[in-house]
Amino acid sequence: MTTIDASRPIDLASRPDNYLTHTRGFLSWALTLDHKRIGVMYMAAVLVSFFVGGVFALLVRTELLTPGQTIPGVTADVYNQFFTLHGAIMVFLVIIPSIPAALGNFVLPIMLGAKDVAFPRLNLGSFYLWLAGAAFTLVSLAMGGFDTGWTFYTPYSTTTTTGGVIPVLFGVFILGFSSIFTGMNFVVTVHKLRPPGMTWFRMPLFLWAIYATAIIQVLATPVLAITLMLVVIERTINIGIFDPSMGGDPVLFQHFFWFYSHPAVYIMILPAMGIISELISVHAHRHIFGYKFIALSSIAIAIFSFLVWGHHMFTSGQSPLMNTLFSLISFSVAIPSAVKVFNWLTTLYKGNISLTTPMWYALSFMVLFTIGGLTGIHLATLNTDVHLHDTYFVVAHFHYVMMGSALIGMIGGLHHWWPKMTGKMYSEKLGTAACIIIFIGFNVTFFTQFYLGAKGMPRRYYDYLPEYQTYHVISTIGSYIMASGFFLTAYCLLSSLYSGRKAAANPWGGGSLEWQCTSPPPHDNFAVQPSVGDCYDFRALRWDETTQGYVNDPALAAEAARNPLH
Amino acid sequence: MIAPLHTLVAALAADTTPQGTAWLPPAASNIAQSVDPMFYAINWICYIFFFGILAALVYFVVKYRVRKGQAFRSDGPLHHLPLETSWAVVPLLIVIVIFYIGFRDFLNISTPPKNAYVVQVTAQKWAWNFKYPNGATSDDLYVPAGRPVQLTMRASDVLHCCYIPDFRVKKDLVPGRYSYLWFQADDVSGQNPHNLFCTEYCGTGHSTMNRKVHVLAQEDFDAWLVEQSQWLDKIPEEELFFRAGPKIYARCQQCHSLDGTKGIGPSWKGLWSRVHGGEGSNEKFGDGSTYASLIGPGKKYATPEDYLRNSILNPGSELVGGYGNAMPSFKGQLNDKAIDAVIGMMQHLDDFDPKTGKYLKEAPAAPKVSMK
Repeated sequence: MTTIDASRPIDLASRPDNYLTHTRGFLSWALTLDHKRIGVMYMAAVLVSFFVGGVFALLVRTELLTPGQTIPGVTADVYNQFFTLHGAIMVFLVIIPSIPAALGNFVLPIMLGAKDVAFPRLNLGSFYLWLAGAAFTLVSLAMGGFDTGWTFYTPYSTTTTTGGVIPVLFGVFILGFSSIFTGMNFVVTVHKLRPPGMTWFRMPLFLWAIYATAIIQVLATPVLAITLMLVVIERTINIGIFDPSMGGDPVLFQHFFWFYSHPAVYIMILPAMGIISELISVHAHRHIFGYKFIALSSIAIAIFSFLVWGHHMFTSGQSPLMNTLFSLISFSVAIPSAVKVFNWLTTLYKGNISLTTPMWYALSFMVLFTIGGLTGIHLATLNTDVHLHDTYFVVAHFHYVMMGSALIGMIGGLHHWWPKMTGKMYSEKLGTAACIIIFIGFNVTFFTQFYLGAKGMPRRYYDYLPEYQTYHVISTIGSYIMASGFFLTAYCLLSSLYSGRKAAANPWGGGSLEWQCTSPPPHDNFAVQPSVGDCYDFRALRWDETTQGYVNDPALAAEAARNPLH
Repeated sequence: MIAPLHTLVAALAADTTPQGTAWLPPAASNIAQSVDPMFYAINWICYIFFFGILAALVYFVVKYRVRKGQAFRSDGPLHHLPLETSWAVVPLLIVIVIFYIGFRDFLNISTPPKNAYVVQVTAQKWAWNFKYPNGATSDDLYVPAGRPVQLTMRASDVLHCCYIPDFRVKKDLVPGRYSYLWFQADDVSGQNPHNLFCTEYCGTGHSTMNRKVHVLAQEDFDAWLVEQSQWLDKIPEEELFFRAGPKIYARCQQCHSLDGTKGIGPSWKGLWSRVHGGEGSNEKFGDGSTYASLIGPGKKYATPEDYLRNSILNPGSELVGGYGNAMPSFKGQLNDKAIDAVIGMMQHLDDFDPKTGKYLKEAPAAPKVSMK
């Protein structure tokens, strides 16, 4: 960071050309090989899906305002489709691609000082596979939808009479390939395209997280693909694999499914942890504390993620020995997660904290992830899990991790890189207000559900006993608060496109390479390959009033060079 | 390390009451006695970590906040091996202790005692059937107090899950396998009856698969058991359709309406006329046949009663057009007398309330019987 002044692409910064204006017309986007444009298209697609999945969530919450039917026309069958669609859309179309494919695509090559990912055509192919997967989901809706739950448990999924099960299984199958290709692309990119000087332990932590995620995507997703195909085969040509009436074993499906879907939880949360490492360090303008522990804990989580799937099945009838082993290994995930939280916390200590919108999201993440992680203890513990399994306690726990952490991390990252992606600054007042509204709404919605679940309210219930109603009403009100926060966020970001002031190259004071090219970056990212220092050393940065951004101060840089950090 | 946690767990054990605690429903079984203290012990560990982290977070943010343009300080530590190792190792020790206690109690939960009283449980879309050693069956679960009870469970269609929150027990019912669940409930006076839920998603009626668990003192239980095994036998043949019919229909009504509303299965309204060659007897089946072509002397079903009986015992053999193969077989659950009662009710359908299935005519006074 302190040594890159000579290679700074100054002439590019003064050129009006950037990746958004480099070429024009629909085809220039549809056929683009530019990782930045693909990232932006992914982001748009993911956010549209997030809106749709969110509408289903609000329908589910509204229906649960009263026991029995609340919304006219929403019968048990319709409700079952609502929560199934909410889950399937949020998991497969939103959270899994959100950070790696959308933000990762945009940021990863620039952070590496590279021109693009290793395989740009494969990258575009991944996006079209995503679109095809989403299209199959729409086809499924047209053919009668599906009511299997996002988990597709057999033999229900092989016997249900809703017409859209096979198309959606194909859709998820195709989305799986999109995910595998993105993962492969990123693994190769990180291995082969790092610039001179960027050793593994000099990579920004976001790249470690994306790298660990990519490995899980490549190794775990094929198992899901095969499993879903087996379900399709069982439904269409009645070969008994999972259905006991044809000689199959329904618990086998659960093993196969969770062998992917537990690692998938880390596909969702690991990249968000990577974003938080960046956000905390950049907005506290303070060298990340314990870099190696954070980096290696990502790898540790990736490895553990493959060994804990059985904790979804403590009450499924698997043997007590297996339950014991899976419980023990599940606890081990707590260690790298705790290390990350404590290291982020210590990064704030003696920092130079700017309470920017991304920082508010990072702080929200830390609070919500701590709650989500700690309540995992109740569920990894065998005897308490028997009581809590398949209740709202589980629903609350995984929403704290998947939404409160993974999605909040994503939205935080979006605010962090928005000036880089669009070249515009949004209103920080609005952005921060929206973040706080979402944080409050989220806790009202989901903390209540811990209570509901501990009191025995089962999940996936259309109708419930009147004694649970008060808490359902509170939870639903929370979801409305949260929704209004998201609408405010959408307004804040979209209005910045029209009326936002121009973003400086480095509006937050970041040290990694993407803050050295202009906002938005030029088509080629860098004119010459930049050389790399310590991306978490912020000492050379100085706030510049005229550009409303941070600039490298040669005097500070020289002083920093005389006193290396260690 | 283990000792203080044990003390904490023991201290919290005093907290559990039959009325329920801040977080948990009433503790009404031996298993709840061990689960609840564990739950609260973990809660306390969570509170300590959460509020510790939150306090540090708020303090650092307030203390180290800077305004734009302020010079950066850079005196914070970059890494600290002993500190980082300690916050890997301390949580590790804590979770190992938690694991051990949870594991020990779980072995107890998953091993039914040899002398347990066994109730056979069958779950199907969307009903529970509890069968007792003397052959009695019920829709609600009745158990004797003061002795271990084992549920030997199976599912006849898809996955279901038996969950009794007040007892803190839960186990999946898997088609093609048997699974066990056991508990001992001692209190007959407390919060009785207890809820029993299905917690494995099973489709349309998933949330209506909730029943009650009644804990009875041993002598009351024995009396109930005798009564329950004989109630159908005590009803004279001619009174079956209105005294037993509506009770049995309670299990059919989720799918079969009486007022013509299309449900998961065909309505019983007009059924008697359809199977007797009257109005609607030309309605098509999935395979193209009709009521008229199936029922009658020399045809597949010699009498309408044969057809109705077969539809209850082998529901998949003929499917009325427009309906899926959704009905489970009631073989072994409804005996001949119960089937007679159902068929009798179909015959006299006009005498029943089309919404509730209640018998509308004046029934002759009869000794009180209960099915539930």
